Amino acid sequence: MEVEKGKTAKYLKAKRPVPKDVTEQLKSFTKSKKLLLNTLMESEKTVPQLAEELKLPGDEVLFQLMTLLKYGLVETGEIDDMDEYFYYKIKSNGKDKS
Amino acid sequence: MPGQMKILEYDVLVIGGGIAGGESALNLANLGYNVLLVEKELSIGGKMILLSKVFPTLDCGACITTPKISEIARHPNITIFTGAEIRIITKKGEHLFEAIVSQNPRYVNIDDCTGCQLCEEACPVSVIDEYQYGLVGRKAAYIPFSIASPRAAAIDIENCTLCGACERVCPTQCIDFTQTVEEFLVKVKSVVVATGFELFDPLKIPRYGYDKFKNVTTAMHMERQLSPTRPFNSILRPGDGKLPDNIAYVLCAGSRDKSVGNPICSQVCCMYSIKQAQLLMGALPMADVTIYYLHIRAFGKGFNEFYAQSQDMGVEFIKGKIGKITEKENGNLILRYEDIEKGKVTEAEHDMVVLSIGLLPNQGISDVFDNETLQLDPFHFVDQSDILASPAKTSIEGVFVAGTASGPMDIPDSILSGGAASAETTSYLRRAAL
Repeated sequence: MEVEKGKTAKYLKAKRPVPKDVTEQLKSFTKSKKLLLNTLMESEKTVPQLAEELKLPGDEVLFQLMTLLKYGLVETGEIDDMDEYFYYKIKSNGKDKS
Repeated sequence: MPGQMKILEYDVLVIGGGIAGGESALNLANLGYNVLLVEKELSIGGKMILLSKVFPTLDCGACITTPKISEIARHPNITIFTGAEIRIITKKGEHLFEAIVSQNPRYVNIDDCTGCQLCEEACPVSVIDEYQYGLVGRKAAYIPFSIASPRAAAIDIENCTLCGACERVCPTQCIDFTQTVEEFLVKVKSVVVATGFELFDPLKIPRYGYDKFKNVTTAMHMERQLSPTRPFNSILRPGDGKLPDNIAYVLCAGSRDKSVGNPICSQVCCMYSIKQAQLLMGALPMADVTIYYLHIRAFGKGFNEFYAQSQDMGVEFIKGKIGKITEKENGNLILRYEDIEKGKVTEAEHDMVVLSIGLLPNQGISDVFDNETLQLDPFHFVDQSDILASPAKTSIEGVFVAGTASGPMDIPDSILSGGAASAETTSYLRRAAL
C-alpha cells in the first residue's frame, strides 16, 4: 500500500479507534484551559484567587496554570504586596495554535 | 520470530543510556569496538540530565552531561536505540550472546525531524509531563525535554487523538503513524548492564502525608524546580503556588528503613539535600531551610567542606527522627519529631516539606537472561561477584555491570564504575581475540 506522506494518522485511525478516555481527557483539558483563560481575561490573578473563583483545589490550578505558562498562553506578572504569590496574566502575544 | 528479524552484529551491547552506560559505551567505542546502546526512554542521559547542579562543586548538571551525551550520539562506533527494550538475552557460547531488541515506534522519523516544535504547538492534547515529574503538562506530540538527545519529536500514541494536526504543520513530513514495533536479533560478544536505579515511592510511608498534603514534595520534584529548564516561573510550593520561605528536608525517606524494605543507605540523599538547601538559599534569599537528619554522611572528597559551607550559609541541621507530618488549614505543615540531641519530642511548622527519597534497584534486568542467571545481591541490585578485584564482574562470564545498577552511588562513582566496566569488557574482548 502506498502511504500518503503527511496524512498518515488516518491509517492508524482506520486500524484502531481512539479510546474514549483519551477524548474525555482532551475535553477536560480544553474546558479547564478556557475557564482559566476566561478568568484571567478579566484581570490578572494569583493561584489562590483563581482557585477560589473557580472552586478548584490550589494544586490543580497551579498545574493547569503552569502548563499554560509552558505553552505560552499565560505570563507571570508582579508578586503581591506580601511577597507570597505571583500574579498571572494572559500573554499579550500568546497564540493558541492547538 | 527470530527467522524474520533483522540481524545486527556488534562487539558490545550496553543496556542503559545514563551516565554510567554512556561512559562505558564511549570508552569502548574510542578503543575501536562497535557498540549498540539501548535505552528505554526517548532520550539518553538518564536521570543526570534532569538534575539542576551537582555536588559538591555546584557545576551545572546539564553542562556536564550534554557535551558527553553529544559525543556519544555523534560517535561513529556507537549505534543508539532509544525507546527500545531488551526482550531476551541468550548466551550462545564463549564471547557470543544473542539479544532480541524491540524498537518501539516513535511515529517520527528522527533523521528528518528538525526539532522545530511546530507539531507540539499544534497538538491539542495535554497530559502529565513525566520528564517534569508531573509538575506540568506536555503535548501528545512532544520533544521529551529541551536538551534531549536525540532532540526529536515523539508521539505519545496512548494519548493521541489521531487528529492529524501535527502532520499538517510538520515542514519535513517526518511524522509517520504507520510505524510499528520492530524487533532485531542482535549478536554481541559482551554485555554491559547499566540499567540505573528507581526512586523510592514516598506513598509507602503514609505518615509523611505525601500526595495527601500537597506541600509535601520529593527532592526530585525540587531538583526540577531548581533546574534552568524548570517547570514553574520560580520555586513555588505545589499546593497553591506560594513562594516558600520556611522549607524542611526530611532525610532517609525510604532509605535505612527496614520497615519499607530498603535497609541500606542511598549514599546521595544527604549531599543532594545539602546541595538543594544551598541552591534554595540562593534562589530565595529570605527563606529558612532546615534539614532533619539521622546522620550526615559526607564521605566523599570535598563533601564535609560542602556540609560546613551550608551551615555557614545558615542552613539549620536538626538531628531528629520525624514521627508524623500533619497539615494546617493554610497548607503549612507540622512536623512532629524526636529531637535526638535534646532528647525530647517536639513540633515545628514549615510551609513546605521535601522528602529526600532514596534509591532503589531497577528490577527486571535479571529476567531477560534466559539460560544464565544474573545473580542479584540481597537488596536486588546486580551482584558484583568479585567486588574488590573485579568490580564490574557479574555472575555471567562476559556480562559486566556499571553504575547504580550495582548499588546506590553518586555521579563521580557512577562514571568511575562505567569506566571500570569498559576496562573489564575490553580485557574480556581481548581474550577472545587471542
